Amino acid sequence: MKRNAALAALLVGISVSTTAAFADTSITAAGSTALLPLVKDAAGAYQAANPSVKISVSGGGSGTGINQVAAKAIDIGDSDIVPPPTVTGLVDNKVAVIGFAVIVNPDLKVKNLTRKQIQDIFAGNVTNWNQVGGPDQKIVVINRTRGSGTRVVFEKTVIAPEKVTEGGLSEDATGTVISVVKQTPGAISYAAFSGTHGQPVVEVAIDGVAATEANVITGKYPFWSYEHMLTNGPATGEVKKFIDFVSSNTELLNKNSFIKISDMKTSETNR
Amino acid sequence: MISSIARRSHRTERIALTVIRMCAGFVILAMAAILLYLSVEGTKTFFVDHFSLLQFLFSPDYDLDDNHPGAAIFIVGTLLVTVFAIVVGGPFGIAVGVFLSEIAPKRMAQLLKPAIELLVGIPSVVYGWLGLTLLVPLIRDHTSSPSGFSLAGAGIVLAIMILPTVISLSEDSFNSLPPSLREGSLALGATRFQTIVRVLLPSASSGLAVALILGIARAVGETLAIQLVIGNATAFPKGIFGPTATLTTVIVGEMPSATQGSLQEHALFSMAFLLLIIAMVLILLVRFALRKRT
Amino acid sequence: MDVATMEPRTTSLVGASTSVRARKLADQIATVVLWIMASSIILLLALFIVYMFYLGARYLTPSFIFGMPAETSAGGGVGPEIYNSFYILILTLIFTVPISTAAGVYLQEYAPPGRFRELVVFSAESLATIPSIVMGLFGLLVFVYLFKWQFSAIGGALTLTLLNLPALMRVTQEALKSVPDTYREASMGMGATRWQTVLNVVLPSAIGRMTTGIVLIAGRIFGETAALIFTAGLSVSENDPYDLNPFHTAETLAVHLWYTHTESIVPDVDRIGNGSALVLLIMVFVFNIAARVGGRALSKRLTGRPT
Repeated sequence: MKRNAALAALLVGISVSTTAAFADTSITAAGSTALLPLVKDAAGAYQAANPSVKISVSGGGSGTGINQVAAKAIDIGDSDIVPPPTVTGLVDNKVAVIGFAVIVNPDLKVKNLTRKQIQDIFAGNVTNWNQVGGPDQKIVVINRTRGSGTRVVFEKTVIAPEKVTEGGLSEDATGTVISVVKQTPGAISYAAFSGTHGQPVVEVAIDGVAATEANVITGKYPFWSYEHMLTNGPATGEVKKFIDFVSSNTELLNKNSFIKISDMKTSETNR
Repeated sequence: MISSIARRSHRTERIALTVIRMCAGFVILAMAAILLYLSVEGTKTFFVDHFSLLQFLFSPDYDLDDNHPGAAIFIVGTLLVTVFAIVVGGPFGIAVGVFLSEIAPKRMAQLLKPAIELLVGIPSVVYGWLGLTLLVPLIRDHTSSPSGFSLAGAGIVLAIMILPTVISLSEDSFNSLPPSLREGSLALGATRFQTIVRVLLPSASSGLAVALILGIARAVGETLAIQLVIGNATAFPKGIFGPTATLTTVIVGEMPSATQGSLQEHALFSMAFLLLIIAMVLILLVRFALRKRT
Repeated sequence: MDVATMEPRTTSLVGASTSVRARKLADQIATVVLWIMASSIILLLALFIVYMFYLGARYLTPSFIFGMPAETSAGGGVGPEIYNSFYILILTLIFTVPISTAAGVYLQEYAPPGRFRELVVFSAESLATIPSIVMGLFGLLVFVYLFKWQFSAIGGALTLTLLNLPALMRVTQEALKSVPDTYREASMGMGATRWQTVLNVVLPSAIGRMTTGIVLIAGRIFGETAALIFTAGLSVSENDPYDLNPFHTAETLAVHLWYTHTESIVPDVDRIGNGSALVLLIMVFVFNIAARVGGRALSKRLTGRPT
């Protein structure tokens, strides 16, 4: 008898908390680690203002974001790129612009690289730093994994028509990349401003143009993209309100090195 | 004349038997479901995308833009890492198993056995983290590897992880040998070492084979500990200190971003199915080894 | 050989033939080598423990252990992750223990040799060898995609159930095996049915060993990662981190440790990593000790025997 009572109590408890949970709105967002800092900060601020909304945010890469929102496993897919044509049903909500930097280990004292040099390095044609004006040190290329939107942006805007050679190390997230570049002598990789600004790595100038927001706004610096918060179908209700909140909160945008779309003096399609 | 008490307990007995038989049946059902799902999902690469099985198994060209997911690099990676682990950890494990069963005095055994149990209990992600923070810098600073992420690092971590399995299974198989074997050998004037090498090892060979096979199974299936130290490079390793990838690391690395229904997703499931097949082959090997004993 | 004392005549090496001396030397060297190997294992464990305490102890502040995780800034804690680890553990045990105990009882006490029994044993062995990542993918297919539960604690728990069924079945079987047959015979001799015997005599006697085994396996479940990444998810919610709803996204401590080192962009990766690894290690200790102590105590209460 006692056993039955306990079991009943457990079931009641679960169903009560279940219904209670379903009464609140819950939003899940995942994907680009470049957009992640902004979404996380925004989620914190938004939940503070709207306590009945629960927002869970995680990374995983743009590919993960696209994939999971298409599978309806999450509500918002964060991505550095437009979804590929094979994925249907997603609505693109552009929220901001982000610049990316080619980063190198600070001990190399390399501050500038031409586009051709970057192409050669990542294609594997150049293997020692002394071939591009640096010290005598083997180049360690750190690539991004296949699901990375940052990688697609890199290939499209910096080293096209070349592609990155596969044989090197590959790391998944912005943070891991930065930490590996910091520690590995001779390392080179690429990541978003939201992760690189303020870190002990060198953001290389491309063809003499420095990696700054100002240069992205004018379009002189080529390595940038829009950030997309994708939804499966048009965004409605709290999801829409949250996405609007992300794209309009100037303070959080600036803190994380993002640029408001309306501030851009240039624009691109298909980014 | 069966009393009502007896009748009730008979009914209880029958209900109980049905319930526990269903639970045992559930185990069969679960295994069947897993086999079914993974074989359906895992063969889509060949039946839906029409990619050749031979290419999948033997082509080192893993090019998704070209719709050509050749998995040879990862298969070889899994193989290499497993061989490394078993070559380093296998003999070591058997030796310590011998030690525990034949040589260790009680105090030492009381210290060693809990130590081994603790090593087993350490989660694999912690082993991966230990590899990342301890091994990778060591390899980076002392070998030709520029970043420290390497096949060797993964192999060493794996060897440590399979040690407890190999040790305890070896110890068990030595313990189950009849004492007359030892006594007979020593009585003939053999030293303890000779006894172990010439008499006990051959007699325990099937048990030791099982220990090694299960160690291999553990190594083949390990994911996270390897992923944190191997460098995840889609290429054959350039030497033992070069980075590479295995079936398990590529699955955990790419599955989250693989679009549902895409060739990439199908290829990853095919790799998972391959791992499943390898696991089942290993089980059959174990059964074979155990049967040889009798 | 001196027949009277059954000892080789050449016990002293003086005047012994070279082959005997060589054999004795080999024996001594081998013994030393084996001692070194065995000791190195203890040293290795000691090294790990010392290293992890050295690196992580300073981070074990209340704000770390109970605080909320941070995705992008330093100073995050792992409170909800620890909660989720326990939550998923308990949920998994709720599912696994009844089924595996029943199946183990069936195999040990009832099953006649035959095809059904062979099939059960084979299925259990196969389940045990499946790599945890493959099981995680199965969980993804069934619980996330097919059942549409998204990332949930219960999806993770069910996946872990499948993973641990064989181990717990073995624990049950070993524990039942350790109960002497005389108990069963005595009980049946007094007219009890098989089930009554099992329920009232055999199981209580075995419960000490079973508890030890279950708690040890619980320790392993606590640290499980690969099967949970694709089923329970990688995040916790800020507004309701201690959610009782089994369908909530539930990142555990072990998954968080992995996530921090592969996906995350917080600047204090080391702090989170070292702290989390140390917490996990401490939990392993706790589970190990609890397994022994608990098993012994339960056994004493129920049967008067130490195990």
